[in-house]
Amino acid sequence: MSVPGPARGGGDLSPASPVLTLRGVSKAFGAVQALYDVSVDCRAGEIHALVGENGSGKSTLLGIACGFLVPDEGTVVIGETERRRVSPAESRRLGLGIAYQTYSHVAHLSVAENLFLGAPSDLRPTYGRMGRWAADRLAEFDLDISPTAPTSTLSLAQRQLLEVVKALLPQPKVLLLDEPTTALGPEDVDRLHALVHERSRAGVGIVYVSHRLPEVLGIADRISVLRDGVCQGTFEATSMSEESLVALMIGRPLQLAFPERHEREAEREVRLVVVGLRGDRFGPIDLEVARGEIVGIAGAEGNGQVQFLRALAGAERATGTATCDGTELDSKSPLGPLRAGVVLLSGDRVSESLFPTLSVRANSTIQVLRRLGKLGFLSRRRERRVVDELVRRLGIRAASIEQPVQTLSGGNQQKVSLTRPFLRGNVRVILAEEPTQGVDVAARFDIYGALREKAKEGVATIVKSSDPLELAGLCDRVVVMSRGRIVEEIPGEELGERRIVEAIVGSGAGARTQAATSPEEPE
Amino acid sequence: MRIGRFSGALPLVLMTVLILAVGAYATVRQDAFLTSFNLNNLLLLTMPLALVTLGQTCALLVGGFDVSVAALMTFCVVVASYTMAYDKSGWALVPGGLVLVAVGLGTGIFNAVIIRVLKLPSIIATLGTFSILEGASLLLRDYPAGPISSDAISGLTKSVSFVPIAFVVVVILAVLGDLLLYRTRTGLAVRAVGLDETSSRRLGMATGRIVFLAFVMCSVMASLAGFYLAAQVQIGSPLIGNFGLESIAAAVLGGASLAGGRGSFVGALLAALFLSLIDNVLPLFHQPTEYSQITIGVLILVALVLYQSPELLSRFRTSRAGVGRLEMGEGEVPAG
Repeated sequence: MSVPGPARGGGDLSPASPVLTLRGVSKAFGAVQALYDVSVDCRAGEIHALVGENGSGKSTLLGIACGFLVPDEGTVVIGETERRRVSPAESRRLGLGIAYQTYSHVAHLSVAENLFLGAPSDLRPTYGRMGRWAADRLAEFDLDISPTAPTSTLSLAQRQLLEVVKALLPQPKVLLLDEPTTALGPEDVDRLHALVHERSRAGVGIVYVSHRLPEVLGIADRISVLRDGVCQGTFEATSMSEESLVALMIGRPLQLAFPERHEREAEREVRLVVVGLRGDRFGPIDLEVARGEIVGIAGAEGNGQVQFLRALAGAERATGTATCDGTELDSKSPLGPLRAGVVLLSGDRVSESLFPTLSVRANSTIQVLRRLGKLGFLSRRRERRVVDELVRRLGIRAASIEQPVQTLSGGNQQKVSLTRPFLRGNVRVILAEEPTQGVDVAARFDIYGALREKAKEGVATIVKSSDPLELAGLCDRVVVMSRGRIVEEIPGEELGERRIVEAIVGSGAGARTQAATSPEEPE
Repeated sequence: MRIGRFSGALPLVLMTVLILAVGAYATVRQDAFLTSFNLNNLLLLTMPLALVTLGQTCALLVGGFDVSVAALMTFCVVVASYTMAYDKSGWALVPGGLVLVAVGLGTGIFNAVIIRVLKLPSIIATLGTFSILEGASLLLRDYPAGPISSDAISGLTKSVSFVPIAFVVVVILAVLGDLLLYRTRTGLAVRAVGLDETSSRRLGMATGRIVFLAFVMCSVMASLAGFYLAAQVQIGSPLIGNFGLESIAAAVLGGASLAGGRGSFVGALLAALFLSLIDNVLPLFHQPTEYSQITIGVLILVALVLYQSPELLSRFRTSRAGVGRLEMGEGEVPAG
């Protein structure tokens, strides 16, 4: 940690000299103190991971470092320049690059236009050469994206990789990566890590924020832990384990256990039956899910998993049939499946499932207002009672249930969207798309617990996730999708992270040579 | 991209076609239409709306509205009845004219400060300004009085053959504006700010300055429109025209999006010309002017549906595309 004082000389530029220092940074958002007197530094050539629970202040800290947020107290030092406040443009000039967790693309502009806008003036080509230039940059990073495509048409994984490329374009001396792998499959994570290692060997200081602790332990040189806006210290990665990190993050040791799979009757009752469903980028798919069963969907990103789930929920067009408890789902609009008790938890929670400016309370109860009313008027008291209970049960961290959800951290937002299936009376099927994306460890297990709890009540659940560990721990069985079809099924007793990764990697190669094998139902 | 480009040109094409169609019809049916007197009249009639629409397009591009423009134009007319009064001529008019531009500049800065510094929604902020300027106009002239200098009017409306010089200037302005918007980084930055301000700021753009300048530009253009409104009414009248909504309508017909980030200055100019053309043609056919209001309303609705059709079509197509896409391996991430 750096100590401000006149004795420090600026001339020492050994590989270990800090390229980014945050000194005594504090920041409050209204009543919530997001950061309290945090000091961290990142040295040239090191990979410095930043971990902490949701809402512990990681993203706020990065926001201050890059100049998007202004600290209430403290200063930012980039290279040799110390500033109370910088602008994003200035921090870039000083040699800082950042890949935001929530992206910094202008959705309706093309990939090339976004790269062009994000490039500093000395690297920018003339306007007319933009297309050619962008294509070259994308090729340099081995990214197979059309420069003329509007960024809104890219997959989440492509956007995430593009965000990293944009951050690296100006050849920064320090690179901040905020949850760069949430949407990436295992292969892309490896590619990204290779890139990160290459840059750090070249002397770039890297600040790496991630919820995936194994990933962090695998890549980082040093790790700083934040808890409730206070820095718990900086540690050598080699001296830390997953358990010790979690203990620091949540302030107590935590049993890193997935909820126990419950015994299901041997004579299990099939709840959801999908026959020959096909639509944009997937199909035909046959799948059966029993009452109380959690089925995972694995596969490399962009193989139709998301489209399949969305089609089931009526959010996308498809042909074929899906029946729930013997009744065919009317999937022309989301309303039909919803009435039948099929609930989709979208991965894009901010734009698809939440009302960002409304409170936690309003977001939770919006689908069940009729039940909470009295003579046609809402009863605030009843509303509060049920929401307070859920907030406790799911461990949602908010100043009050009246706090607008846009001011919550990503994981807490996700938990708010999870409150809805708990409030609805008739939930039969839950379709969860990346239920723990951007969610910290402790909250993750809250969410797993919540999903398993619903399963015990007889809900049939399908979980689409890019995290094999999660699928292995949570699900009763996992199907692997490739090129829009189910190519492999892994029964419960074989489940394991390794097995799933192998199936995903294998299916990528296999699908090219052989026709998709038909899925087999386990007995 | 192909769709994007197409939808960008659609308003320009549609406006041109409509202008030519209405013009051709009027030419065939009415001898009085294609006369240099009438065309000159039409172009001069277009001037106030054209100028204010160019300004409004700036505000729309950055995702805002400026509804104060109509009151500002009227205020400029009232001010002109003092600073450019009938007894002034020649160079003595210049300081009076500068006062009008200064009024526009001041109003623009006032609006921009309220919107950027006090963070009020632009539609509310400019509604306040509208009211203030309306009251100020009535304070200065509670009934139409004070003829405008005839020297000023003839200077403003000076024409070569039937084309007013000022109209040529506006055309050049619009073309330069579109070149700036679609062929330079500054223009791209303006559009990006209108489309997504947060991302733009993260990309390192001076979003505050861009929005600020857009609103100042809007008011300055409105004050220029005030000159031509003064040349039309020729007296210090405190009556306020419908230029606020009409300028938004023309900008939208010209391709601007109410959500910000899209628009065309040339399109705005064509749309302003088209709306004025309808105003000009209907009396020739002895139709009551009320019809022009209805026609314009219907056209705006039809045009908006049409402009969105490429997007609607592509949405329909993707949802129907089925498995065919899979063969292209689209959306698949290449193996490392």
